[in-house]
Amino acid sequence: VPSFHFEIVLGHLAFLMEGVIVTAQVSVIAMVVASLVGSAVAALRKYGGPLLGVPLGFAVDSLRAIPQLALMIWTFYALPVLLNQPVSPFVAGVISLGAQYGAFMSEVVRAGLDSLSPGQEASALALGMTRTQALRRVLLPQAIIRMLPPAGSLLVGLLKDSSLLFGIGVLELMNRAATLNGLYLRPFETFTVVGLIYLLMTYPITIGVNWLYSRLAPLVAS
Amino acid sequence: MEYQWDWSVVTSNSGAFVRGIQVTVILSILAMLLSSVCGLGVALLRLNGFGAVRVLVTVYVEFFRTTPLLIQLFWLYYGLPYVTGISLDPFIAGLLALTLNISAFNSEIFRAGIISVGREQERAALALGLSPIQAGYRVILPQAVRRVIPPLGSQWVAMFQNTALVSFISVGDLMFHSLVIRANTYRSLEVLTATALFYLLLGYPQAKIVDYLKRRSMTSEV
Repeated sequence: VPSFHFEIVLGHLAFLMEGVIVTAQVSVIAMVVASLVGSAVAALRKYGGPLLGVPLGFAVDSLRAIPQLALMIWTFYALPVLLNQPVSPFVAGVISLGAQYGAFMSEVVRAGLDSLSPGQEASALALGMTRTQALRRVLLPQAIIRMLPPAGSLLVGLLKDSSLLFGIGVLELMNRAATLNGLYLRPFETFTVVGLIYLLMTYPITIGVNWLYSRLAPLVAS
Repeated sequence: MEYQWDWSVVTSNSGAFVRGIQVTVILSILAMLLSSVCGLGVALLRLNGFGAVRVLVTVYVEFFRTTPLLIQLFWLYYGLPYVTGISLDPFIAGLLALTLNISAFNSEIFRAGIISVGREQERAALALGLSPIQAGYRVILPQAVRRVIPPLGSQWVAMFQNTALVSFISVGDLMFHSLVIRANTYRSLEVLTATALFYLLLGYPQAKIVDYLKRRSMTSEV
C-alpha cells in the first residue's frame, strides 16, 4: 500500500496561491479581450456586408479549428520573428487565448442576437426608437442575458486552457504544480491537490452564472 | 533587416510531420470511439445505477469536467505509477486521459439526450409490452442518439484539438514533432506556421461538418 504525503503539497499552499493569482489574471484579461473581439467580430459579420463578413467568417472558423496549444506556441515563438520584437509569455498567452476565445465568443454573441424575434426590433422602431436605441435598449439587454450561460462555459474552458501557459513558461498554477512535483516527486498528491484548486476556481463560476441566469432569464421576452 | 523565409525546413522534415499527423489522427479516432462508448455507459450508470455507483460516477464526471486536461494527463502519467506500481506507456496514458476527459463531457450530453426523450415514451413502450431493455434500445436510444449527434460532434472537434497536449508527455504527435523540428532548425516561424496549417487542414472540415449537423438538427426539431 503506498503512503500518501499530502502535507508536503499543502505546506506550499502560499506558493500555489501565487499561481492561482496569475491564472486568474490571465483568465480575466483574456476573457475581456475575447468578449471585446467577439462582440466586434459578431457586429461586423452581421452589419458589415460580405466584403468583411466572408474573410471574418473564415478567420473565426480557422481559430476554432486549431488547437490552443499550437496557437499559443505559434504566438510565443513565431509571432516575435514576424514582428521582429520579443513577446512576453504572459502577453503571448493573453493574445492566443483572447483570439481563440474571441472567435468562440463571436459565435455566442451572434447566436444571442439571432435568438431574438425580428418582431422585437420592429416594435421598438414602431414605438419611435432609432435603430441604435432599439439595439441598445431592447435587443442587447435581452441578448446579453441569453449569452450568459454559454459565455460562462467559455470562461470555465478558458480558465482550464490557461494551464497550457505552463508550456511557454508563465508561472501560473500548472507551472507551479510541475515545479513542486519536480522538487518532491509526489505527482499523485501534487496533481490531486492542484486539480482540486482548479475545481474550486471553476465550480463557483458555473454555479454563479447559473444563479445569475435563473434570476435574469424571466426578463427576456419569449 | 528583412526576414529571409526558408520553407525548405518543412519539406526536408516532411517525414517527421507525416509521422506526427498519423499519430494525431490515430489518437483522435481511438479516443473518439472509446469516449463515445464510455460516455454512454457513464450516462446509463448515472441514470440507472445504485446509490454508491451513482455517487462515484458523479464525482468522476464533475472532477474531469472542472479540471484542466493537462492536470489529468500528468495525474495519470506521473501520479498513477506511484500509487498502483504500474507505469503507463505515454501513448496509452494520453489515450486514457483523453478518453476519461471526453467521456465525462459526453456522458452529460447522453444524459441530457436520454432525459429529453421523456418518461412518457418509456411508459408507452412498456404498455405496448416491450421489456425495459427493449424500450431502452428500441425506443429511447434511437431518438436520444439523433439529438446528441451535434453536441457530440462539438466534443469530438474539441478532443481532436486536445490531442496536442500529449506532446507534454512526449507522445510523438504532430505538436511534439513540430517542437522537435523547431528546436533543431531554429526556424520557428516556418515550422510552427506549417504546423498550424496542418492542424487547420485536419480540423477545419470537422468544424464545418459539425456546423452542418447543428443546422440540420435545428430545422428538424419541432
